[in-house]
Amino acid sequence: MADKSNDPVAMWQNMIGEMEKGFNAFANKAMESPEFSKVVNQVGGVSAGAQRQLGDMMEKYLVNMNLPSRAQMASMAERLQGIEGQLNEIKALLHQVHGNSAAPEAGSPAAPRPPRTKRPPSAGGEPK
Amino acid sequence: MNVAAGLDLQSIPDRIQAEVQRAIQRSIKGVEYFASSGPSLGSTPKDILHVRGTMNLYHYRPVSDEIYRVPILIVMATTNRGYILDMVPGQSFIEFLLKRGYDVYMLDWSAPKPEEKSLRIEDYVLDFIPDCVRRVQRDSGETDVTVIGYCFGGVLSLLYGSIFADGPMKNLICFTTPVDFREMKLFQNFSDKRYFDVDRLIDSVGNVPPEMILSSFEMLRPASRAASQVQLWENIWNDEYVKSYRMFDRWAIDTLPLAGEYFRQITKDLMWENKLYNDVMSVGGRKADISKITVPMLHGVAEHDHIVPYDAAKPLIQKIGSTDKEEVILKGGHVSLVAGANAIKRLWPKLDSWLCERSI
Repeated sequence: MADKSNDPVAMWQNMIGEMEKGFNAFANKAMESPEFSKVVNQVGGVSAGAQRQLGDMMEKYLVNMNLPSRAQMASMAERLQGIEGQLNEIKALLHQVHGNSAAPEAGSPAAPRPPRTKRPPSAGGEPK
Repeated sequence: MNVAAGLDLQSIPDRIQAEVQRAIQRSIKGVEYFASSGPSLGSTPKDILHVRGTMNLYHYRPVSDEIYRVPILIVMATTNRGYILDMVPGQSFIEFLLKRGYDVYMLDWSAPKPEEKSLRIEDYVLDFIPDCVRRVQRDSGETDVTVIGYCFGGVLSLLYGSIFADGPMKNLICFTTPVDFREMKLFQNFSDKRYFDVDRLIDSVGNVPPEMILSSFEMLRPASRAASQVQLWENIWNDEYVKSYRMFDRWAIDTLPLAGEYFRQITKDLMWENKLYNDVMSVGGRKADISKITVPMLHGVAEHDHIVPYDAAKPLIQKIGSTDKEEVILKGGHVSLVAGANAIKRLWPKLDSWLCERSI
């Protein structure tokens, strides 16, 4: 079997790993300096403001084009999730109201809960 | 064996053949990678118990014939989605807990809307968590609740536990939870008071955009994204590697925005003034002193955590008032501590053995 230290593939993988570690360590050292913080925050402040303006402009553009924006789509998805949750609550309530007269589907919200009687393996001698 | 070169000459043709095969597989799988969607995540069956704005409370359907008396409420970090704890069957912390007989609830977050920019730490600690705890009590019929907080979810759980020290929290488990924010050195430098104008930022953007949160995480290890893509290409013939890569990559980039006021408070109270560590933290005028927490407590920390370095998390075990308390330092990083192969063999069994005796 080839010696790992002479395996070109292993050497390449090792080199990538070492380069990653080395670059991260070097960059982290540089990022600890106050100068870095100063520059990043100057640039970051400007770009956050610009991003906000661009976002606002895009929002107006999409409204004019009669198209939904990303925020509206995300909000729609969350509302759907909320409706789903409410439907689940209604379903659970309906099952309760009917007093489990009809056998609920396995795993449905109204399925009977297991008893809260479980003991730890050491106490009950149950194998893990 | 060629001793001089340390190379087995006979193995070279086999090696070349294997590499050619892999190169062919890379081309085929590479096309598949871009043509297919990733694995479905967070698919353990659950019911949505309650949704209010950014707050979502789930109940996972039990799978055991009998369950432990005390239910678990997991409080997720506000920067990320809760499915990191429910990746795919066989690699899901939630599934693991259910199979071990726990009754599991999760407080997960969705992106705060622009109108939620005024949410403050008070809303999370004095409203969202207590509301979810009440709902867990009502749904389970039990008074006691075990709280598990991951990363900043751990900080929120600590604040909640210290203000509501008389109950109903029965056990507290924190994963990689920072207490001494001075020790989060790079984040400290990013938010250096002299140059970082948090008021100007929040006043101009409202909620902190997810791209900003993601880039601040990625800046901690700037070479890692490029290196991981090289590794992906090398391993693209390996279906298991690709599946795992896609799961973690999708989760990592699925960062949430943060409510503006909440971020402003975190920056000022925790990053700048280190109030939690200095025992002067208060939430909505109520003192949050973690020495008031006396319930059994387990803190899981990672040896190579680049987001919450060990020195930032270490004081928790000293400061908390509990007498029944334990810190476990495990191999791994901020994410691999709680999810993936490392967590399956290290953290999860440890948590189960600690919690089962305290859940009856």
